[in-house]
Amino acid sequence: MPSRRFSRPRAAVVVTAAVALLLAACSPGGGATTTEPSGEPVTGGTLTYASGDAEPSCLDPHVGGNYPQALIATQYLESLVSLDEDGEVVPWLATEWDASDDGLEWEFTLRDDVTFTDGTPFDAEAVAANIAHVQDPATASSTGYLALAKIKDVVAVDDHLVRFEMSAPDSALLESLSQVWVAMESPKALERSQEENCAAPVGTGPFVVDTWERQDSVTLVRNDDYNSPPADVAEATEGSDLPYLDSIVWRFIPDSASRYAALQSGEVQVIDNAQPDTIKSAESDDAIEELDAPRPGAANRIELNSGKAPFDDERVREAFIRSVNVDDGIQSLFFGTAERSYSPLSSVEPLGLSLPDLFTVDTDAASALLDEAGWDERDADGYRAKDGERLTLDFPVSTNQSIPAEQSLFEQIQADAKTAGFEVKLQPLDLSSWYGVLAENEYDLVSAPYTKVGPDVLRILYHSDSITPAPSGYFANLAQVDDADLDELLTQASAASDAGERASLYEEAQRIILEGYYILPLYDQQNHFLRSSSVQGLRAMPTVSTPTFAGAWLVP
Amino acid sequence: MAGALTLPVPTTGARRRPVPGNRHWLLLRAGGVLFVLWAAATITFFALRLVPGDPAEAILGGPGSQAGPEALAQVRREYGLDQPLVVQYLTYLGRLVTGDLGQSYSLHKPVLTAIGEQFGATLTLALVSLALAWALACALAAWSVRGGRVAWAIGSGLELVAAAVPHFWLATVLILFFSLTLGILPPVSVPGPLGIVLPALTMAIPLAGFLGQVMRESLLTAMESPFVTTARARGESEVRIFWRHTLRHAAIPAVGLSGWAFGSLISGAVVVESVFARQGLGRSLLSAVQLRDVTLVTGIVLVVALAYAVMTLVTDLADRLIDPRTRAVAE
Repeated sequence: MPSRRFSRPRAAVVVTAAVALLLAACSPGGGATTTEPSGEPVTGGTLTYASGDAEPSCLDPHVGGNYPQALIATQYLESLVSLDEDGEVVPWLATEWDASDDGLEWEFTLRDDVTFTDGTPFDAEAVAANIAHVQDPATASSTGYLALAKIKDVVAVDDHLVRFEMSAPDSALLESLSQVWVAMESPKALERSQEENCAAPVGTGPFVVDTWERQDSVTLVRNDDYNSPPADVAEATEGSDLPYLDSIVWRFIPDSASRYAALQSGEVQVIDNAQPDTIKSAESDDAIEELDAPRPGAANRIELNSGKAPFDDERVREAFIRSVNVDDGIQSLFFGTAERSYSPLSSVEPLGLSLPDLFTVDTDAASALLDEAGWDERDADGYRAKDGERLTLDFPVSTNQSIPAEQSLFEQIQADAKTAGFEVKLQPLDLSSWYGVLAENEYDLVSAPYTKVGPDVLRILYHSDSITPAPSGYFANLAQVDDADLDELLTQASAASDAGERASLYEEAQRIILEGYYILPLYDQQNHFLRSSSVQGLRAMPTVSTPTFAGAWLVP
Repeated sequence: MAGALTLPVPTTGARRRPVPGNRHWLLLRAGGVLFVLWAAATITFFALRLVPGDPAEAILGGPGSQAGPEALAQVRREYGLDQPLVVQYLTYLGRLVTGDLGQSYSLHKPVLTAIGEQFGATLTLALVSLALAWALACALAAWSVRGGRVAWAIGSGLELVAAAVPHFWLATVLILFFSLTLGILPPVSVPGPLGIVLPALTMAIPLAGFLGQVMRESLLTAMESPFVTTARARGESEVRIFWRHTLRHAAIPAVGLSGWAFGSLISGAVVVESVFARQGLGRSLLSAVQLRDVTLVTGIVLVVALAYAVMTLVTDLADRLIDPRTRAVAE
């Protein structure tokens, strides 16, 4: 347990004794001390991970489906397919797959030598049970539910061959299936009550959920029978008995400074949600290394609500974008840890389109555009006005989702916009209130992250269907883009079976979004991890950028 | 806070009062406790519901996960969120009377279980902090009484500063000093006694400053009272006089405040438990508020209100033990 790390006196005694023995026993040429960590993996040991995210209320990522769940579930659940470093789909629990010509039937051949950690065999029935679990409204899945929305029926053709019957072709199916939100769990375990399954989901992954001490830690122990890493990992680690670690203690340390202090003091070995100032200060610490793993899906961006005045006028949208200097703010507030984006998609998405020229600052052009759009008066406070009404923009900010540096960036944008004559009203809100304001359509600017593997995220965010609110009032198309051509492109792209055709359709779609000045891209969804240099072999999954400890070891 | 309300008024000798008076007093107190619990439940329930935001969305939502309509409908049905607010409130009160605190929708488990898992940690922290605060306050008072004018000034200055220090700042300073510079204490909570030192110290220091300030005034009066002169005349040492006579005298108002202090410690736990990543009700409360988990928030508020009421009762009793006047002497 972690407390042992603090019995320094004892450790000192042991070290002293060992040194004494060494000195006594061997003389010349004795001590082969390794100062540099050797490349050879070391077996055993307990690693402590500290997460800054909220503790999940359920460890089964089928339920709900957010990023904190994905982070931890990556250690014990596995999916049908994975992605390699180049973004190519590679086999995982499924060895091969094939789609019918019309894209309405997919067949997956499954591995026949994999067993869930409760002893249940992994087979076609298990896949069917998992899809059914995600699609069952009682599970209350949101992310996984959307990802599998087009799967109509699942048929176990034989023990290790499963067929998905689709309601419509889905070019994003493989990308969707690679996400941990739809990972495979033991069908026997899924039959338990939701409370039980949330406390200890059963998968095929390198680790097993052992205990969960609420608001303290989850203990994961080694799966001694582990044999199913994704194809790319299996190839790279051939002959090794994965995983190397005996156990992982997964802690929740919400305070950023405490989390970093815990890493510095050796209490924990890996932390997530490293903030820009911490990353910067870690650069000068030899004992700490960084892992930067931008999330897939949409880039972080400010959405301009084109569904109502004043942003229903494209000229006003362009004027706003042309008058705010985002680059300097990012540079000074993120200390060079975040790179400016000019694309609706994350930089890890191979099909992302960047158009930097649209975002150059040009205050004269902005001014002319505003005059042209009728916002040519100035009121007593120097803001622009039209018919006596001030040019005001409501900007609700979710303090749960926007880190302090991002909130400061919004304040700089507010100051820039003021010079141009926009009054930006920043409104910091907790998550529930923020959802509430969006549902009421009481916003002109908003920034909302969206993580999903593949460019199909564009359909979720910018197809006009996504303006129609769910019964809760929430909708994903916060820019309220309503463009028939764009809808058509996105629909075609999601059905396209040809890779080249799909790529060009998504490029055209992104061009419409960018050139319509619906969004102001900022940077990738930041996802920085810091690790002690004693941790080796840690990598981020090329799927949803969660770290995996399958091949990680601790240098003693 | 409602601290002033709980300040014990040194009442006339209870012992001489006829027994029914005591029973009456107890009944009144019990009625007061029930009223406090009802008010706490009601205010919390409506305060959380009147803030904009949809609990169903919060239950399912979170960064990057937008809930489908069917999932939302399911959640609403399951938790009765589709009922009118008044109906939800009455249903809730009805269940409360039978001792059922309901189901936490953010934790997928009964509220009572969720609180049970966390209550021990917060209670331990509060009690250790309270003991530590008393120890610090007494030690500082003892030192400054003996050290003359300068020590007195330093002591009261330290108390003033300590009482004003915010928890989060103090926590950071303590982590920097004890964990990063000296490396002797863990910066985050760990199992075992070492893990509680920094969190308890963070809560104890401001409280000690506060208790010390309250004690100081009466310490001064006590030191000039005839019984101290008598003790001196008997040749008792200053140390003995302090511990035996003046402290006892000076502690009365501070003991009365311990009930209030306990309540403030539990609210301080919200910050301290988050900074030190410690288990406890404070953290549960924070996340429950963010997630609009009304049943959990109300449950925690009720438990804290109850603990607060019990603690006030205990300090009133302690007051009677320390101060002989409240027992025997009728004025």
